[in-house]
Amino acid sequence: MQIYLPIAELSMNIFVLLAMGGGVGFLSGMFGVGGGFLMTPLLIFAGVPPAIAVATEANQITAASVSGAVAHWRRGGVDFKMGSVLIGGGIVGTYFGAMIFTYLREIGQVDLMISMAYVVFLGSIGGLMFVESVRSILKARRGEVSKSVRRQRTWIDALPFKMRFRKSKMYISVIMPIAIGGLVGVLAAIMGVGGGFIMVPAMIYLLHMPTNVVIGTSLFQITFVTAAATYLHSINTQTVDVVLAVILLTAAVIGAQIGAVVGAKLKGEQLRILLAGMVLLVCAKMAFDLVVEPAELFTISAIGVEGH
Amino acid sequence: MKLRNILISLGLFICASTLPARAETLVTDLSQHVIEITSQFSGSELLLFGALERHAMESVQSDEIAVQGLDYDIIVVVQSDPTNLMIRKKQRVAGIWINNENQMVRGVPGYYVVGSTRPLNDFLSKADQIELGLGLENLKIVNENDEEIGEFKEALIRNMKARGLYKEGSGNVTVKDEILFRANLEFPSNTPVGDYKADVYLVRDGNIIINHSTDLLVDKRGIERVIYNFAHEYPPYYGIMAVFVALSVGLFSGFVAKKIS
Repeated sequence: MQIYLPIAELSMNIFVLLAMGGGVGFLSGMFGVGGGFLMTPLLIFAGVPPAIAVATEANQITAASVSGAVAHWRRGGVDFKMGSVLIGGGIVGTYFGAMIFTYLREIGQVDLMISMAYVVFLGSIGGLMFVESVRSILKARRGEVSKSVRRQRTWIDALPFKMRFRKSKMYISVIMPIAIGGLVGVLAAIMGVGGGFIMVPAMIYLLHMPTNVVIGTSLFQITFVTAAATYLHSINTQTVDVVLAVILLTAAVIGAQIGAVVGAKLKGEQLRILLAGMVLLVCAKMAFDLVVEPAELFTISAIGVEGH
Repeated sequence: MKLRNILISLGLFICASTLPARAETLVTDLSQHVIEITSQFSGSELLLFGALERHAMESVQSDEIAVQGLDYDIIVVVQSDPTNLMIRKKQRVAGIWINNENQMVRGVPGYYVVGSTRPLNDFLSKADQIELGLGLENLKIVNENDEEIGEFKEALIRNMKARGLYKEGSGNVTVKDEILFRANLEFPSNTPVGDYKADVYLVRDGNIIINHSTDLLVDKRGIERVIYNFAHEYPPYYGIMAVFVALSVGLFSGFVAKKIS
């Protein structure tokens, strides 16, 4: 059964879309990740124009993260003060990200930017994750127990504008959280991802936040920042397809429930290797498409009669 | 459906024969004047049909009768309102393929289909083809400075053909009993919305003797139209609506998922 997507202006098989949403939802439930970094490339591979895929994914991630954020908030797992600082940085980042996105779309380079951003981020994150999990599996085989290292003082502690975060029991400079939030905001706008895969490690390793508030706070931030990205893309480029977002979302919610059950049965290290493998696979496909000579060198796009 | 169309065209033909006598009379119509793009839209087909009456046979006693039936040809052209398109060419730069050259073309149709009873070159002069823009190679596709754009024009035609938006062919206009003619038109799912024009040309002895034009509208309907117009006419409110929809669907599905598990 075909469904016509009003903003993307193309007709797609609804079962293919549901399978994609469900599949990515399954993986995100299993690995505990947002799934934007898998969904956006999948949509692009399926023929959705990259700009629409990115903006629509921002919209879908708002929906995917809000219920998680609420659930963590009920359990007391959200540091609202830290979250607000991250959102502040995030909204500024999203604003600039959306501006870059709009500009590149006008000069016809937005697809290239999306692919390059994916190759760089998926490549480095996937590579790091892969090395890290292989290392810890090897360590576990040798019977070593990883000792918790006492937190060292770093240059981050020397930054000014310190603020007290009671929930996280921290007294740190706001510069770093704002910078992290800002980077995540840029990524939300130009890649259609929540940015949890950057923010969560950054919160743990750079800010040294207690792990029990990391996920909840990052979901809290992602909800607001992707909402801002959705809003800005709607205004600048009219690329948010609500129909596509709702179809993907419905399937993703169901997939995530099943994925969470399956994920609970697998070991953490195995999961991480699997996830790293998939991230690298998507990265490789993106890189391949950039390097290999395309079958058709020309692309045609409508620019409207009233536009310049 | 098809039988009905034929009956309609027969009816039209009968109407046509009561018109005052002229050299020839051409009556054409479309099986639909509006193509509605709804949520289930996955392309559409349309029948352009008509009837031809030649009073020439009765009124003018000439040797034309000797070659009757062979000297008429019909050309059908359906095209959307002119639009502006950007053609971009990828080139390898530092190992990766990026859009590196572009040409903007103004006033080209987003949909263009031409059909005829025989190959155009067999019965119509090249000058006429160019003047009327009949046939893909005769479409006026130039850049902003009115310059020919060579491979960009070829690329545009090739891409639009691949999308099913440009098409040309001879023999796809069929004539029955030298009176009724019909042409099937296909509109793929990516058909652009807008005003269309369906032109029918009747050609005799290399001259276009009748040109008949019919309007066609391709438009989004129902929820598709509402969403599209909302997004393009009130972008800020659309953005807020999109966020609101996402938040409520997200919260609701989270609530349902919690109840189930």
